[in-house]
Amino acid sequence: MGVLARGAKNAFRNSIRTVSIIVILAVSIAMALVMLMALKTVEAKIETVKGSVGNYISVSPAGIRGFEGGGELLSNSDVDSLNQIAHVKKVVKSTMEHLTNGNNTSLQSATEAGSFGNRQRAQEMGNETGGAPRSFSMPVMVTGTNDLSVTSNLNVSKFDLTSGQKFDGNSADLIALVGTDLASKNNLSVDSTFQAYGKDVKVIGIFDGGNQFANATAVMPLKALQNLSGQTDQIYQITVEADSIDAVANVTQNIKEKLGDKADVTNQQDNSQNAVKPLENIKAISSYSLIGALLAGAVIIFLTMVMIVRERRREIGVLKAIGASNSVIMAQFTVEALVFTLTSSIVGIALGLALSNPVLNVLVNNSSSTGQNPGSGGRQMMMRFGEGAQSTLRDLHAVVGWEIILYGLLAAILIAIIGSAVPAYLIAKVRPAEVLRSE
Amino acid sequence: MLKVKNLTKEFESGESKIKAVKNVSLAIPAGTFAAVIGKSGSGKSTLLSLLGALDKPTGGEINVDDRDIAKLSDRKLIDYRRHKIGFIFQNYNLVPNLSALENVMLPMEFAGVKAAERKKRAGWLLGQVGITGAKQIRWPGKLSGGEQQRVAIARALANKPKLILADEPTGNLDSATGKIIIDLLRHLAKSENTTIVAVTHDTGIARQAKLTFHLKDGRLVK
Repeated sequence: MGVLARGAKNAFRNSIRTVSIIVILAVSIAMALVMLMALKTVEAKIETVKGSVGNYISVSPAGIRGFEGGGELLSNSDVDSLNQIAHVKKVVKSTMEHLTNGNNTSLQSATEAGSFGNRQRAQEMGNETGGAPRSFSMPVMVTGTNDLSVTSNLNVSKFDLTSGQKFDGNSADLIALVGTDLASKNNLSVDSTFQAYGKDVKVIGIFDGGNQFANATAVMPLKALQNLSGQTDQIYQITVEADSIDAVANVTQNIKEKLGDKADVTNQQDNSQNAVKPLENIKAISSYSLIGALLAGAVIIFLTMVMIVRERRREIGVLKAIGASNSVIMAQFTVEALVFTLTSSIVGIALGLALSNPVLNVLVNNSSSTGQNPGSGGRQMMMRFGEGAQSTLRDLHAVVGWEIILYGLLAAILIAIIGSAVPAYLIAKVRPAEVLRSE
Repeated sequence: MLKVKNLTKEFESGESKIKAVKNVSLAIPAGTFAAVIGKSGSGKSTLLSLLGALDKPTGGEINVDDRDIAKLSDRKLIDYRRHKIGFIFQNYNLVPNLSALENVMLPMEFAGVKAAERKKRAGWLLGQVGITGAKQIRWPGKLSGGEQQRVAIARALANKPKLILADEPTGNLDSATGKIIIDLLRHLAKSENTTIVAVTHDTGIARQAKLTFHLKDGRLVK
């Protein structure tokens, strides 16, 4: 029987004590694992949020309220002035047009007005004519953009082309990408056409915008939509990309100075900070808890091994007397500690996997109260980040992978080695002569 | 041959020093069964721990096969304990969760003997001391005191040592079993040409020894 077998056998010498140690240590390891999973999940989420924020700054006509209008649209000269600002990498322009069936398009809306829309419309009609309210067709929103790579202007939560191809942003051709629902409602497919302002617009692609609102819209090249709708030189929304995250604040300030009262300028950093703040709280809690759980595990195994070494002091003396070296005895006790921690790890990992999402939910619930609503800015920014900050926490799910389990096992080995270090010192100090003196 | 010359051991107790062994000199020829007798506190166990390299002397020499073990390094002392010394304790001191066979194999494992060989020799040694059959795979707790001491004797013989040191080997046994154990030790001393030094306060055992050393207050008096 070698050192390994003897160490493993010794771990189960006192079954009641062994079970107790394993249960306590397993809880500690489970807690460490849960916190590690929470930490990794939150870190990944923070990276995602920060990555999604990018270096973008939103510039909207001052006071504009989406479909309701308000404020004066921006112009190409405004865009030109923004291009001159240092650290500006890209300026993306967009405009928006509402097409109404029976008025200026053949398209039928893919969304129903609903009771709220009908009520609003009825009030307008009543005010205009004094007549009875009647149902109406929702307008189809068409966005014009000169750069499809920046989707923040497109009122979509994602922009996946399901068929066809994208267009060149500088094109003036009467072409469009239509949302899946809009295409379905109007039996549109790639190469089919619809009418707008009396002209044929060719569908060159169909996209999934991630939600019903987005999938009921269409996207056209900026110039084409401006020409079609007679809004030449009118820009509804500008997105400015800074060349680095660090430059965003300065570029934002410069834009505000250039455009003055003409525009509402918001960068996404403030909003992202609001979204990330509760995540940072969870990260801090899970980091401290992880360290605490690991320390607790190390202390448990440390005290256990100290107790065992003290209890077997005579046996250690005997082993030395019959020829065992310190290293052999230390190895035997370290194996014993490893058996404790690895057995506890198996139980702890199972427990940790079961508890990871419930514990993460508790952390989220306790931390979300510290999150704040994002500040107001352009309408699109409000829509994107108002929801974004809330969904950042809603969408948290513990990341469970082999990497995490491997971390857990490594932590267990580390705990065993740390927990065995001082007992090893005690072993080295046992003098075999003590065996005779205590006879 | 075991030769001890002017052996001294001092312990510090607070600010004062206690001499447990004082200028002890003795010689024991190979294959001799010798007894060291004395009252409790006379320094018997200290002398035994010095002979067995469990402790280092404050002064003097301990020559085993013309080698002064008092001057050996810690590493070489471990080797000395592995190959030259066998211990028998009053309380047997067997490892409780190892079988009799595994206990006897233990010193051979530390000495680097291969698994198959140590199992074979352990079985043979246990047979020599009368532990046979199923008793060989029993835990010490399932054996009587006399049987445990037999296992301890087999363990002491495992690496064919030149010197076996026995500390009150019959102290926990009834007189009949104690006599059997002493007879066994005397027999082994002769058959294995092993020097056996037994520390005891039992004058009956001392009478059976070829050489007897009387220790009083750390000094040899006879």
